[in-house]
Amino acid sequence: MLEKKLIEDVLDAALSKGGDFAEIFVEDKTNGNIKLVGGLIENNISGRDFGVGIRILDKYNSVYAYTNDATDENLIKVAKAAAAALNSSKVDLKLNLMKANTSNNNSILKSLKDIPMTDKIELLRRGYEAAKNYDSVISQVVVGYMEEEQNILIANTDGLLVDDRRVRTRYYVDSVASKDGEMQRGYYAPGASMGFEFYDKVNVEDIAKEASRIAKTMIYADYCPSGVMPVIIDNEFGGVLFHEACGHALEAAFVSKGTSAFADKLGQLVASPLVTAIDDGTIPNGWGTTNIDDEGTPTQRNVLIEDGVLKSYLIDKLNGRRMGMKSTGSARRQSYKFAPTSRMNNTYIDAGKSTLDEMISNTERGLYAKKLGGGSVNPATGDFNFAVMEGYIVENGKIIKPVRGATLIGKGTKVLELIDMVGNNLKLGQGMCGASSGTIPANVGQPSIRVKALTVGGRKED
Amino acid sequence: MDYLKLVDEIINRGKVKLDELETYLVKNKSIEIGVFKGELDRYSVSESGGLSLRGTVDGKMGYSYTEKLDESSIDMLIDQAYENGKYIDVTDGDVIFEGSTDYKKLNLYCDRLATVPIEEKIEFTKNIEKYAYSLDDRVVAVQTCVYEEFEQERILKNTKGLELIDKQNLAIAYVSLVVKDKEDTQTGIGYKVFTDLTTVDYKDIAKEAVEEAISMLGATSIKTGNYTTVIKNKVFADLLQAFSSIFSADSAQKGLSLLKDKIDEEIASPIFNLVDNPLFEEGFASSSFDDEGTSTKYKRLIDKGVLKTLLHNWRTAKKDGIESTGNASRPSYKSTLTISPSNFYVENGDDSFDDILNGIDHGVYITSLAGLHSGLNPVSGDFSLSAHGFEILNGKIHRPINQITIAGNFFSLLKNIELIANDLKFGTPGSGYFGSPSIKIKFLSIAGE
Repeated sequence: MLEKKLIEDVLDAALSKGGDFAEIFVEDKTNGNIKLVGGLIENNISGRDFGVGIRILDKYNSVYAYTNDATDENLIKVAKAAAAALNSSKVDLKLNLMKANTSNNNSILKSLKDIPMTDKIELLRRGYEAAKNYDSVISQVVVGYMEEEQNILIANTDGLLVDDRRVRTRYYVDSVASKDGEMQRGYYAPGASMGFEFYDKVNVEDIAKEASRIAKTMIYADYCPSGVMPVIIDNEFGGVLFHEACGHALEAAFVSKGTSAFADKLGQLVASPLVTAIDDGTIPNGWGTTNIDDEGTPTQRNVLIEDGVLKSYLIDKLNGRRMGMKSTGSARRQSYKFAPTSRMNNTYIDAGKSTLDEMISNTERGLYAKKLGGGSVNPATGDFNFAVMEGYIVENGKIIKPVRGATLIGKGTKVLELIDMVGNNLKLGQGMCGASSGTIPANVGQPSIRVKALTVGGRKED
Repeated sequence: MDYLKLVDEIINRGKVKLDELETYLVKNKSIEIGVFKGELDRYSVSESGGLSLRGTVDGKMGYSYTEKLDESSIDMLIDQAYENGKYIDVTDGDVIFEGSTDYKKLNLYCDRLATVPIEEKIEFTKNIEKYAYSLDDRVVAVQTCVYEEFEQERILKNTKGLELIDKQNLAIAYVSLVVKDKEDTQTGIGYKVFTDLTTVDYKDIAKEAVEEAISMLGATSIKTGNYTTVIKNKVFADLLQAFSSIFSADSAQKGLSLLKDKIDEEIASPIFNLVDNPLFEEGFASSSFDDEGTSTKYKRLIDKGVLKTLLHNWRTAKKDGIESTGNASRPSYKSTLTISPSNFYVENGDDSFDDILNGIDHGVYITSLAGLHSGLNPVSGDFSLSAHGFEILNGKIHRPINQITIAGNFFSLLKNIELIANDLKFGTPGSGYFGSPSIKIKFLSIAGE
């Protein structure tokens, strides 16, 4: 993407006023988005993101600059402008950039740019028909198609020169059910680091029916009662529990500054011994999988918690310096517009031995949260919240009725200790995770789990 | 790079394939200063931008964009917009607009902000952190202490002869910190949005954060039940922002807003007035033209509880047989045209904040909400949100509470408003700039112990 000589000159200019490390990140990315509303193709946009980010580290401090003018003279100018923030003397570089080889975790079989637009449109129409015809209460359906190919190059003053190609595909259906002046939504949005072969693996009709099924279930549901009760959280996107409640607080960005509830707890029991949690950036074709992280370090499988004991954090280079620890291949960024920091890739609670049926039949009165929406966390206090998209009341070991409008709240450190059953049905779900280095694709995941006691925020009838 | 020349070249060459076309060019500059333990720990500068092309063939609008702003992108932009447009089913959709007769002159660019030396801005940011630590021994960590400055230039040009340019800048100073008393950890934030650094006292920002965090120490939950509830000004503004899509005519026309067909109906308490004012001088979502090139204007969406209008662009307006309200919006050059509010706020009421508390024997004052992006549903109006705040006893703030949720329906909440204070405050600007005074609600369902 850039000539080697130019990269070397830019890195040299970046250290012209001091600093101990410089890095260049070049991104060239194509995007396509098509949206169908109520049976009609309404929007179709495609385009190209292109830019260069230059980062200088000086012990614990960092300088970042970006531009989308990649001409030789401008890049040198930007590097010098960034360097001006440091006020010491030039570092002499003897750079010998060596192109690194990487393993390929995401093999792409059907290149997106070879697929005719009509095939993509056809997917949207099929999804619409299946969602709309699911039931007469379905009043509106929005279907979206997303594709992207991100090509990046990273070089740094440690002599690293590496590139990566990330192809991603996602499809979503948003169904609305209406009845008696009320509306409820159902949403399902699977994705993968795959080309068009993704659609050989998933059936868009199934995705559409799932979205409509949730909307229909919820339009007939009562409001959820409030209180503290056992909560069974189903597999797949239920993993957002771990992601929000614990995952963020394990990111080095918070740990290194001592503002995480998990700081200084390595080797300690922080969860129920039933809990083993992993962040794995190498899962083949996973939604959050990349070959290298956004600092050029190969991604890896990180065991975060093993049998309840805290084993590792998620670490990037800069925060690793503060912590005296090595990168875990966890540096990520949305684009060249963001300096990288420690983030999650594919994070999940590993499979246990229980079955979902056992969890339900062993619950006297509680909530079965079949589908969760998104959530958030305050990493300092550990306070988390997330929305239940599809929930059911469990009584005397049986699912009684669907309920809507519930939120689960608690403290991350506590909830891990309160997990008393872990299922054998591990599955991953796809989400977009937003934090200081932008919004990035990440898998969450878990088997079905039961939490002994959680605060359920519901609503009695007005 | 002469961007205007590039735009002209695209328009000239695009005319061959496209019936009508428009270029939307955005140029951004930003500075970010981050301080940690007295050191400049993060410093970032950028200059970037992007250009979007949209154009019609037989009434079908296709879009394309690029961040590579040079000659090499021209053919790709035109070909992709042309190709993408072919598959559009909506032929009475977006239009290329010829322009309004006149545009208000707004001064949205503050020269002084750009000319203050960077050293002063760094010093200012360091002072916030230093002062925060000095205020209370229980401040154990300042998590984030940043100064961010943005500058944006917008150039809109089309084949109907429209050519509009504007430029604005603003800065935000923000601090978030952690306080600790034995095992009790709480956090607080303070921020200010401004265009003139000399008008801002760093002490105010630090104080706001420290006071918020300290005041929450010792918080516990409260019994589940229905409570008379006061929602803090900036918190109600956040809630309004999260539900703002219900006021979009596009949502209504697609059956995604319950405000569909509710014009001239009473949808809120008669003391409730809601305004969209793009010409508000102290606002940070001000502009004299929207992203479709229409001149903007002040309007009351809700007047004494009655819904008067929704927010429109030309597509939705034509469908309803009215004029655009000047709320066409491109969240970015990477987005297709949509609708968004500008400076969007609830008008002040007559009572002071203390007066509002006075009449409450036992209630709850909500000072923070979490999960606004997930715990609410704009389509149904339902919300269930993690919250913290204070218990109100005999008209006074009694004790801090947390680990609770508030739940209800936004449409019912609007009707259950009893009193509105006179303390209008705005949140941080994003896709719109939202404000509200503190608001008393007859009752809200609160889940706790």
